[in-house]
Amino acid sequence: MTLTSLAFRNFGRNRFRAFLTVAAVAVSIVAFLLLRTVVWAWASGAEWSAKDRIVTRHKVTFVIWLPKHYIDIVRQAPHIKTATWATWFGAKDPKREHEFFTSLAVDPATYFDVYNEVDVAPEALETWKHDRQGAIVGDALAKKLGWKVGDRITLKSGIFPGDWAFNIDAIYTARAKSVDRSTLLFSWTYLNESLRDRQRDMIGWMVSRVDDPAHVAEIGVALDKRFEDLDTPTLSQDEGTFNASFLAMFSAILGALDIISAVILGIMTLIVGNTIAMGVRERTQEFGVLRAIGFMPGHIAFWIVVEAMVMALVGGLVGVAVAFPFINYGVGRFIEENMGSMFPYFRLETANIVLALVVSALLGAVASGIPAMRASRTRVIDAVRRVA
Amino acid sequence: MVPIAYNVRSLAVRKATTAATAGGIALVVFVVAASLMLGAGIKKTLGSAARPDGVIVLRMGSDSEFGSVVDESNVPLILAAPGVAHDARGKPVGAREIVVVAAMDKLGTTGVTNVTLRGVDEDVMSFRPEVHIVAGRVPRPGSDEALVGARIRGRIRGLDVGQTFDLKKNRPATVVGVFEAGGSAYESEVWVDREAVRQAYNRSGMVSTVRVHLESPSKFDAFRAGVENDKRLGLQALRESDFYEQQSEGITTFVSLLGNTVAVFFALGAMIGAMITMYAAVASRQREIGTLRALGFSRTSILVSFVTESVLLAAAGGIVGCAASLSMGLVHFSMINFSSWSEMVFSFDPTPSVLFKALAFACGMGLFGGILPAARAARTSPLQAIRG
Repeated sequence: MTLTSLAFRNFGRNRFRAFLTVAAVAVSIVAFLLLRTVVWAWASGAEWSAKDRIVTRHKVTFVIWLPKHYIDIVRQAPHIKTATWATWFGAKDPKREHEFFTSLAVDPATYFDVYNEVDVAPEALETWKHDRQGAIVGDALAKKLGWKVGDRITLKSGIFPGDWAFNIDAIYTARAKSVDRSTLLFSWTYLNESLRDRQRDMIGWMVSRVDDPAHVAEIGVALDKRFEDLDTPTLSQDEGTFNASFLAMFSAILGALDIISAVILGIMTLIVGNTIAMGVRERTQEFGVLRAIGFMPGHIAFWIVVEAMVMALVGGLVGVAVAFPFINYGVGRFIEENMGSMFPYFRLETANIVLALVVSALLGAVASGIPAMRASRTRVIDAVRRVA
Repeated sequence: MVPIAYNVRSLAVRKATTAATAGGIALVVFVVAASLMLGAGIKKTLGSAARPDGVIVLRMGSDSEFGSVVDESNVPLILAAPGVAHDARGKPVGAREIVVVAAMDKLGTTGVTNVTLRGVDEDVMSFRPEVHIVAGRVPRPGSDEALVGARIRGRIRGLDVGQTFDLKKNRPATVVGVFEAGGSAYESEVWVDREAVRQAYNRSGMVSTVRVHLESPSKFDAFRAGVENDKRLGLQALRESDFYEQQSEGITTFVSLLGNTVAVFFALGAMIGAMITMYAAVASRQREIGTLRALGFSRTSILVSFVTESVLLAAAGGIVGCAASLSMGLVHFSMINFSSWSEMVFSFDPTPSVLFKALAFACGMGLFGGILPAARAARTSPLQAIRG
């Protein structure tokens, strides 16, 4: 019998306790993975963003629109391949006011040239481009609100008064993780024609693609320079920076989630440590005998540490096995459908699984540190004499 | 009944195990109490901006101040509506304000956030008597001088006494003072002269909202009828308390959803931890239990005794966790409020009901974690146990 196999055998000594400990570790790992996935799905939006896209908005605030002729200036600027614009509409379904979704008034002719990571049937797209009241919606949103192609719907807006009627012309699906599948897009012309004079011919922001992704920052600065001397100055950022700065608004929440996931690991360590300490205490005499027949303190410590690591790792594996279907087929689906604007892609990531397993094994070792040290230091004579 | 002192001493004997288990529960209670405190803090922050006789008038369908537009020409009609209080000189007590958001650099992280900019009347301090200056001075009327709320001060670049920020291009505003407003949402805002905001943000002929004070809170229905009955105005009147309730809805839902999810997982983990400890306690005290049974203590008293022990253990952890969570009272939590998309600073509010709930939560974990081990203890046969 090798040293390691002895450690494994000890694992099965108090089966019920081992089972409970594994369960506790598994629960902690599920919670840890859930929190990690929230943070990861939130934060990685910036990484998925297209490297060659620039967002140009008003320098001070997104509340102020830009004059529409700005788009022509952008289109003529060097290194700009194609450009489009959008205006935030703030639509609400009057029947389901609490369902938030993104709705934008866009330029149908160019919008999908700039955002080309969506899939939409070409005929449906053509219909939409020529329908003044046409709307194109993401598949997740269509499913949630029960819309089908051909439906006529009436929405309200938090910004623009009155009833707004739309024809659902097309439904798009995502080809990239970064695409929010719950957005509604419709023609900016429809919005513009309904506005009063002084709100006319204004656009929310512009998005363009550049031919030289490596120099996207410089191209943005050059764009802003062109608008600096005009009445409305702009701020251009590449999509990654734009998303990252958006993320900064939530940095406190992300920080709190990180703290909470550290706390759950702390609880897990305490539980494993407690189990190991109890097992060690009950076996003090045995260790005394082993020491008496010639095993070194290092052997004793080795057994205890390996036992703890194995227990924690088994718990981690069970946790991953539970978390995988739980996140990918349960919560994740729900979140993608209901909070798609924030979490377009909410799945368990391999890196997080590896992290969870490594962390559980390491914390098992940490948890067994004190019991292992104590047990290996106990003098043979005390150990053999001791009453548990 | 078995005296409680027996349980207390039993816990005291196994110091390490008791500490580890109670420590785990303390961590759980800490997180749960902190999330409840944040929920209470959000309610308080958004709720304390409301006064019982205060009413806010917005454009019909707007769900935030900055999405609302009220025509200047309608303001006299609103102020003339029935129920509006009048001051000593016979003027109606009301304030028209322009509320916008500006993107500003968040200190301590890379990124911008949206800060609420409120264009206020000269006599804003008498309209909101709870507001007082804690540093610097009151702005000169009609100037580009600004006041910042105490909570947002120092969190954003440019928002401290003597510093400047851009209202628009080439139009800097100088911060001359800092105000407190009873811990309310106003403390996360920047206040500037209304006409300065009007010019900078191009809002001629319109304001965002009109606020009035009523002669008494009971006059609300009459006032609302006066404002809302004229459909051409397209306005809605809300009690300030209802308006702020609406404003806090999204974020309180988010915090409680997150808090509850975390609480469920943590509770499961900590309960299993308590179970492990209690099973071990029962197993190692077989003889004691047998003796107690032989002495004539009933199965029920053994059951009650062990459940009590488990609850005591959990309560000890709960008290430590609650005590630790009180320290969160010093922390301010800065995040985006979902309904206004602007930065708001919340505090953790340790109300008695929050602490009571957290403690009850801990006792519940002890109760449910202890019941199975206690049942095993109660099943102990005195004869077998004593024979060992």
